[in-house]
Amino acid sequence: MATLSAAFASWKPAASFINQTKGLTYRAKVASIGTSRLNFPSSRSSRLHIRCAAKPEIVNKVLEIVKRQLALSNETSLAPESKFSEIGADSLDTVEIVMCLEEEFSISIDEDNSQNINTIQDAADLIDQLVQQKTEVA
Amino acid sequence: MLPSNLVARRLVPFALPSLPSAPLPSPREAHLWCVKPDELKDASLLQEYMKILSPCEKENVLSVKGEVLQKCALLSRVLVRTTLARCLWIEGLSSGCLFHARLDTDYRINPRSFKFKKNRFGKPEVEWQHNDVSFLPSLQFNVSHTSSLIACGITVNDPIGIDVEEKQRRPNADVLSLASRYFSPPEVQYLKSLVDSDSQKIEFIKLWTLKEAYVKALGRGFSGAPFRKFTIRFETRGDLVSEKLKTGEFRIAVEPVSDHETLTANWQFALAEITGSHFAAICMGIDENDTGKEHDLLKLKVWKTLPYMEDECLSDSEAVIKISGLS
Repeated sequence: MATLSAAFASWKPAASFINQTKGLTYRAKVASIGTSRLNFPSSRSSRLHIRCAAKPEIVNKVLEIVKRQLALSNETSLAPESKFSEIGADSLDTVEIVMCLEEEFSISIDEDNSQNINTIQDAADLIDQLVQQKTEVA
Repeated sequence: MLPSNLVARRLVPFALPSLPSAPLPSPREAHLWCVKPDELKDASLLQEYMKILSPCEKENVLSVKGEVLQKCALLSRVLVRTTLARCLWIEGLSSGCLFHARLDTDYRINPRSFKFKKNRFGKPEVEWQHNDVSFLPSLQFNVSHTSSLIACGITVNDPIGIDVEEKQRRPNADVLSLASRYFSPPEVQYLKSLVDSDSQKIEFIKLWTLKEAYVKALGRGFSGAPFRKFTIRFETRGDLVSEKLKTGEFRIAVEPVSDHETLTANWQFALAEITGSHFAAICMGIDENDTGKEHDLLKLKVWKTLPYMEDECLSDSEAVIKISGLS
């Protein structure tokens, strides 16, 4: 099966490593002060994304779900920076992970949103954003 | 870099033998070449395989985490390069172009000589060099891998997409939930009509591989051809009474759900079981100009290989069981 990044990006080859960009992704880190919250532009487009780094508990939950889906042992090093394409997740793993995340956080992740997810951190950041959007709407 | 479970047995420098040639696919025929990563046990062979890769491919293989995955990544590239090279060898000779830069001294195409590019949606293709165009056939390829089997499908001219999956694969999530979320309504209905839950899981996997093969054949990526927007149908041939149908007599067709400009229907599908362990789905483009004959069944030939070391033709043996869509 194609790897996870075939689901999350426009296309990656089956071995999913040719021409992966190695550049740094700019990520704005924001400390929330009291109950104030900065509003970032809603990212419907697949271009520039500035996301608040997700809360650690979200990152940990994503790590837990990914580890469970891929049946990784506790000794396997899985970091927020880990790329899905490098940890052996195929497209069926991807959709199962996405479904788990949707159920866990009561959100909906469509194909447009998932275009830019390459790492665990990316997934956590998107979830954080979708959860925030949901609570803002409510 | 050497995986710990491999042993370097050879004390003398190891050199790869010549790569045996392989037949070119006939028109309307797909060839499937398979590698089982578990059969690669020799560290010196692994080192030689690394030399076949381009610098960029090497870097990418080394960035993959874990020995098993790294070996799969390496074998995937080796399989593509060697399969293309061996199919083209005889073509290169017969066309009389003996001094082409890509030929080794024994007139074989060097697997290292291939360059690859991506189409505008990111699908990998051979980047044919200027001199190739005049004498080499236009090979189309697609690769799929599981940790236990890597497969490369090739055709001449016809776009191809393949997907392989372990027969024993069972999704962790409930398959009806997965299907409701990702499949088209007729496919969900089909799965719901199956009484046995294990049959549901097996049919889910089969549908998954067929849908995946279609998306890869289209070459537009997962988000360019959402699974929900097309239906895979198993159709009986109109002239046969259902009780008399033999295995494999079903034609598999794709039906886009709505008028979608990118989701086309002129594709031929096949599903087979390989070495008792994997399902392989193949999707091949039908030339719209090829009219008159109804393209029911796809022709398929299958080999198992450890490149440079051994080849085994699996076609017409018990190792290939036709499930649907195959002649």
